[in-house]
Amino acid sequence: MSAVISIQNVTKMFRGSDGLLVHALDNINLNVEEGEFVSLIGPSGCGKSTLLRTIADLIQPTSGKITVNNKTAAQARKDREYGFVFQSSTLYDWRTVIKNVELPLEIMKWPKNKRDARAREMLGLVELSGFEDKYPWQLSGGMQQRVSIARALAFEPNILLMDEPFGALDEMTRERMNNELLRIWTAIPRMTVVFVTHSIAEAVYLSDHVVVLSPRPGRLATIIDINLPRPRGPETRDHEDYFRLTSQVRHALRSGVRDEVLE
Amino acid sequence: MVGNARKSTSTFARAENPPVDLGLLRRILYSVFLLVMLLLLWEGLKAFSASNNYELQIGSATIDLSIFSDMQLPHLGDIARAFTEPAQRNGPPLYSTLIENAGYTLQSAVGGFLLGGFFGFLLAVLFAHSRLMQGGCLPYVVASQTVPLIAIAPMIVIWFSRAGNSALSIPVIAAYLTFFPVTIYTLRGLTSVPETALELMQSYAASQWEIFVKLRLPNALPQIFTALKISATASVVGAIIGELPSGFQNGLGVTILNFARYYNQSPPRLWATIAAAGLVGILFFLVIVLVERLIVRWQREDSD
Ligand SMILES: Nc1ncnc2c1ncn2[C@@H]1O[C@H](COP(=O)(O)OP(=O)(O)O)[C@@H](O)[C@H]1O
Ligand SMILES: [Mg+2]
Repeated sequence: MSAVISIQNVTKMFRGSDGLLVHALDNINLNVEEGEFVSLIGPSGCGKSTLLRTIADLIQPTSGKITVNNKTAAQARKDREYGFVFQSSTLYDWRTVIKNVELPLEIMKWPKNKRDARAREMLGLVELSGFEDKYPWQLSGGMQQRVSIARALAFEPNILLMDEPFGALDEMTRERMNNELLRIWTAIPRMTVVFVTHSIAEAVYLSDHVVVLSPRPGRLATIIDINLPRPRGPETRDHEDYFRLTSQVRHALRSGVRDEVLE
Repeated sequence: MVGNARKSTSTFARAENPPVDLGLLRRILYSVFLLVMLLLLWEGLKAFSASNNYELQIGSATIDLSIFSDMQLPHLGDIARAFTEPAQRNGPPLYSTLIENAGYTLQSAVGGFLLGGFFGFLLAVLFAHSRLMQGGCLPYVVASQTVPLIAIAPMIVIWFSRAGNSALSIPVIAAYLTFFPVTIYTLRGLTSVPETALELMQSYAASQWEIFVKLRLPNALPQIFTALKISATASVVGAIIGELPSGFQNGLGVTILNFARYYNQSPPRLWATIAAAGLVGILFFLVIVLVERLIVRWQREDSD
């Protein structure tokens, strides 16, 4: 097996607004295999977003190295390997739903008819056919987030990076979105997903591996393998291993926080 | 998905039939109402002052009410009539004189608006892309607006007449007033892009040009139109001020100057001209509002 994403000794320091250094990530080592679904979980401020953004080359590590498909993260970004989904849907207000999905395709210089066809196909995938000509404000939060997933997938990136994409949704909508995401991920062969969340249930339900981070400085506490059978569905949440794994993640999270309190 | 579909339908029922027209109608009715109140106040004050012989006794103090006399504040009916009467013996009625002069003024105003708008936009783009330029130049841009236009106008007229291009001086004077709001609002619009919207572009490895055209510029459009609405009315003011020292024979500014000189002969003529100048400004403003409605179509109707 080959690691699609290889993170080696990555440390990130920020200069805070008060001039003090913030130690956001401390010596992170992590490999993600092709086609895997990996979640990053940890209390807020532990560096989840920072780690995801260093993978995406939106920010650069202070030290350490990230390779993606044997390239630097910067090269991978230039090669359009990443689809990024933010916590807020980050749709452009002035574009209709379909034009939002076409945005990356315009930048990647797709011809107009191919763009249109692909955007429609992607909206079908997230079950938003018929909403092409709406503006973002006319959609509910869950629908907006589905548009942003369609947009992230439109140019067939190898790697989907998601930063608490369903964090702002209510529990019911979130569970439905989880199922949608699994369906989409299954439909696209060999797509690797790195998914940031602070929901234990969500992380266990979706992932092959749950990476638990502990805060201040952001350290990799442990990795918990989720060997629940796929395809997963509502019955997965009743699986006896599901309970065992969620409590295992909960304990890992708690011990990470307790360390911090003792320090 | 069934539940979701039902939920979305109800969201749309609200979204697609917003009470826009009612709101617009109400706003129009409201401004008409305010106008009527203002006119009533005008005539009411005149009637009240006339019946008190333009003096009001409060205790031992006497308040002079002569500014409400027909000389200072003509009857609205007289002002309206002035439009239809010739300004000179055997000349055309005043309204046709005013329309002709307003044409000149509007031409200069539109010229100044375009010139100032273009220059103001260019400055904003420059400032948005260079912190150094912004830090160095913005204070002077702000300072430029503290110098009264009326003091600069004669100089600009002199410069341009020396250069043999005196017709250009008025649009340039108007532009001096119009570039500023465009620079300030455009700069704010171009730079107030949400961090994640920018990161999205970076994740596509988009070029600076693409970021500008597909993100910064559309993001700035609502604010640019706010500036253009201010500039539209300001350009009319600028053109009128520019006409005063120009020595030209045409334009509302020139007409105002003439009627002010012969004010005692007929006060309503000056008032009619002032009303005409106001109308030109409102007209220009409304044109921009219309263009804005055509271009900025994505906004929630109630976020106006
Ligand atoms: N651009 C930045 N400048 C300064 N400090 C930052 C910046 N981004 C994140 N941080 C700090 O780094 C730490 C980790 O942040 P983040 O990765 O956003 O955490 P999480 O996503 O897990 O909530 C926090 O203490 C945060 O304040
Ligand atoms: Mg975060």
